[in-house]
Amino acid sequence: MTAVDEVRTKAAGLRTGSEHRLARFILAASTIVVLVLVFQLFTNFGIFPDSWDIGLADPIDRARRWLINNQTSHWLYTVFLNPITDAIDWGIRRLESILKWFPWFSYPLVTGLGLWWTRGRFAGALGLAGVALIGVIDLWAESFATLALMSVSVLISVVIGIPLGIAAWRNESVARVVRPTLDAMQTMPGFVYLIPFVLLFGFGRVPALISTVIFALAPVVRLTEVGLRTVPQVTVEASEMFGATERQTLRLVRLPQARPAIFAGMNQTTMLAMSMVVIAAFIGAGGLGQVVLRSMQNIDVGRASEAGIAIVIMAIVLDRFSTGIATADPGRDARAMRWLGAAVSVVAVVGGILGQNEFPESLNWQFAPYVNDATDWARDNLYDIGDSGIGTGPFSDFVTLEFVTPLRELLSADIPWPAMIGIGMVLGLWARGIRLAIGIGAALFAIGFLGMWELSMDTLAQTIVGVVATLAIGIPVGIMTSHNDLLRTALKPVLDFFQTIPSFVLLVPVITLFHVGRIPGIIASVIYALPAAVHYTDLGLRRVPAEIHEAAESFGATRGQRLRRVEMPLAAPELMVAVNQVIMLILAMVVIAGLVGGGGLGLEAVRGLRRSDAVGRGFEAGIAIVLLASILDRLTRAFADRLRPPAAV
Amino acid sequence: MDTASQSAQVSVEGVWKVFGRKVSEAQAMAKNGASREEIQTATGSVVAVRDISFDVAPGETFVVMGLSGSGKSTLIRCVSHLVEPSEGRVEVCGTELTRADSATLRDLRRQKMAMVFQHFGLFPHRKVVDNVAYGLEVQGIERQERHERAQELLDTVGLEGWGDHYPQQLSGGMQQRVGLARALAVDPEVLFFDEPFSALDPLIRRDMQDELIDLQLKLQRTLVFITHDFAEALKLADRIAIMNDGAFVQVGTPVEILTEPADDYVRAFTQDAPVAKVLQACSLMQPLDGRGVSPDWPQVSETTPLEDALPHLLGSTNPVVVCDEQNTPVGLLQGDDVASVISENRG
Repeated sequence: MTAVDEVRTKAAGLRTGSEHRLARFILAASTIVVLVLVFQLFTNFGIFPDSWDIGLADPIDRARRWLINNQTSHWLYTVFLNPITDAIDWGIRRLESILKWFPWFSYPLVTGLGLWWTRGRFAGALGLAGVALIGVIDLWAESFATLALMSVSVLISVVIGIPLGIAAWRNESVARVVRPTLDAMQTMPGFVYLIPFVLLFGFGRVPALISTVIFALAPVVRLTEVGLRTVPQVTVEASEMFGATERQTLRLVRLPQARPAIFAGMNQTTMLAMSMVVIAAFIGAGGLGQVVLRSMQNIDVGRASEAGIAIVIMAIVLDRFSTGIATADPGRDARAMRWLGAAVSVVAVVGGILGQNEFPESLNWQFAPYVNDATDWARDNLYDIGDSGIGTGPFSDFVTLEFVTPLRELLSADIPWPAMIGIGMVLGLWARGIRLAIGIGAALFAIGFLGMWELSMDTLAQTIVGVVATLAIGIPVGIMTSHNDLLRTALKPVLDFFQTIPSFVLLVPVITLFHVGRIPGIIASVIYALPAAVHYTDLGLRRVPAEIHEAAESFGATRGQRLRRVEMPLAAPELMVAVNQVIMLILAMVVIAGLVGGGGLGLEAVRGLRRSDAVGRGFEAGIAIVLLASILDRLTRAFADRLRPPAAV
Repeated sequence: MDTASQSAQVSVEGVWKVFGRKVSEAQAMAKNGASREEIQTATGSVVAVRDISFDVAPGETFVVMGLSGSGKSTLIRCVSHLVEPSEGRVEVCGTELTRADSATLRDLRRQKMAMVFQHFGLFPHRKVVDNVAYGLEVQGIERQERHERAQELLDTVGLEGWGDHYPQQLSGGMQQRVGLARALAVDPEVLFFDEPFSALDPLIRRDMQDELIDLQLKLQRTLVFITHDFAEALKLADRIAIMNDGAFVQVGTPVEILTEPADDYVRAFTQDAPVAKVLQACSLMQPLDGRGVSPDWPQVSETTPLEDALPHLLGSTNPVVVCDEQNTPVGLLQGDDVASVISENRG
């Protein structure tokens, strides 16, 4: 088939496809309008009735009280949960004391050497300076607490994840259970895992660690499975031909060749764990996360920034190290590891003799005061520049009054709740079919029965505003980078940087400019989700084959025509993936922003963590978040599938 | 059991391999003469190997030659039991693989057989020396001992000093030498070659072929060799099997294939074959049968390629005397016979 033919058939396919799509869209839209009108005119439903609240909170609260009272006596604790808690806690403490035994200067030194070796001189110097800076701003001890907790989390994730990945690779029925579970675990905002574990274990590092493990587990399992599945068959045959047992083939041939993939999984797992640092501090993880939280509560933006920067440095160093190890080739790798090992032991011995394990106070210097000054200045000068009505304050008010509040009112009150459920079901029907429609309807009813209707609509409204803003910026930028390699290269490190930053840390600078409230949460979520929007748009457009470009051009299509008629339709599935990712990221961030005045479900969940009498409500909010996330995720995935061109026969 | 299969080191009897669900239906259709395409449209199953039998004697080089899709790769995997045949019997070194349990099969593979692969199948995460030592490692031989043995073999295949490199740092030809050394390291009686040289460029390929011939002269192992290159088959084989559509079309010595192609399919290959290079004086000579020879007539040995005997024939009308290893005349090579074979193969 020539390229021209290909374009014609694709175009024909798209046209018939889009006619169907248009018909379905009109059908769906008119059904929604009729639904709203009917309920509006002939009934007086408003907010989901309070009396229908099944009151799940009360039994949860009772369970919580029972658990607290029986923590020392019941067999569930004495035989099962307490030993687990003690073992994990002992492990974290032990690791922390080992980490602290090494002399302080070994950390910047090892980081510098390691990054120099794997990434070059510049990265090495930056690594050395970065790690030293953590000590300089007096966050040394907190960093060790965080590092120990993270290391144990990642270790446990790996110890569980690699065998689970092997099991999923070996056994299709295991894979069929594991894969969707992992997808769901990673889709949920990490925040929701805190609540059930606080319920079971109370506050402390152990529930923090378990939540982190659950949130971070997915990539290492998935990539272990993928790595094993992509080992070249011929090497496996060669091993078999030498009479290797299955176990020998796995150990000597498959796993070593899957190693890069497994390391990539460990890297992603580490990054996900790092993104939980601040969130886990809500339930007593301690460390840097706690410094961020406490400073935010005291509106000490300076100290919060310092701790945030320490987290970012730690995340970037860990990221670079683990990708460095994952991509190193075996010859160089072995040599580098030997060198590093030698360097570490020399430094450790020297430090052990000198006993230099505290970061010297004489080197302390803090930039928090300057940040606080800048914050004050920003508040005084940027919030409302010269009382002109221009500034971050009026901007916040404008967005709140014109978009967020009206949308919230529309969703929670103006559209009657049965119509909202109807809309959800029509969308489900349109996107996939009756099963999804029923699922969405049930989930929305459940949200209502939990008594979380209004809060969920609040969160949904914030999410929608964030998603629209992100796509409005992200898609055009993605279109530009796909046509301009220079711009893409220039933007890449910036986008990478924003993706490496743990989500909560993003809130810190935004709050300095916009104070607390709904708007900083939405803005932080837009920043957080932008890289995904740009990346997937760029990816989708770049996947359009060059010959299709050329064919379209040979017909004399203008750039705009090419983009509208050929490239965007062909990239549509990737764009829908972008929408899916953006929605999930924004939802996660909006929930977190509940902590800084964002309101909605997030705030309710945080209250549940903070106050023991509100645990039940927090639990309900957590379930509502899970339901909302599932609805949005399924719906956008279904739309993405619909947009895929028919598969080749 | 007949004597041939008793003395044979590899014995294959009525082997079938059908990929897909409807194995018996597909086989029944094949037995009624249906082609692979017909069977596939009817049953959705692919008959890759249909009813193949052959024996390979100790020290023999048996080459299976076929084009891509002829089923030759599946056949060698059935014989080495990397793939379970749908039906039939495979015996290697007196053990029936098709009945063996996994422990027996494993022991047989550790002690008696080895395989060299088309795309080398080297382990990219292991140094060259550890690749070569792999077979010994899975047998549980100590590191010191297996490395010594691996070094020996690297010397044998001309790779001394390359042991500490990784396979991907070597050229294609060198990589396949590693593959060969790895197979030889376990001192196997039977060696399977799955198109080992087809990924190499022509000059390297010729070197590797020559080297394999030299090695085989020294080692005298039993080789089953798969190729799509007819010239390679002629060069290496004691016997050749031509395979098409899952079945053997003809089995015979290179000379038999060249001089008596079974059908047009085989003849198509022989047309471009370098007949004068492949055929040796002994294959076209007429036995002496007591006839006298003149001392004036030129003499060649039995193994002289035809192309080297040709100048003698072209120079005169006299026949050429063919002598055995003791230099005793055993036959006569006539210009007419040679001309007819060459012209027929060109025809």
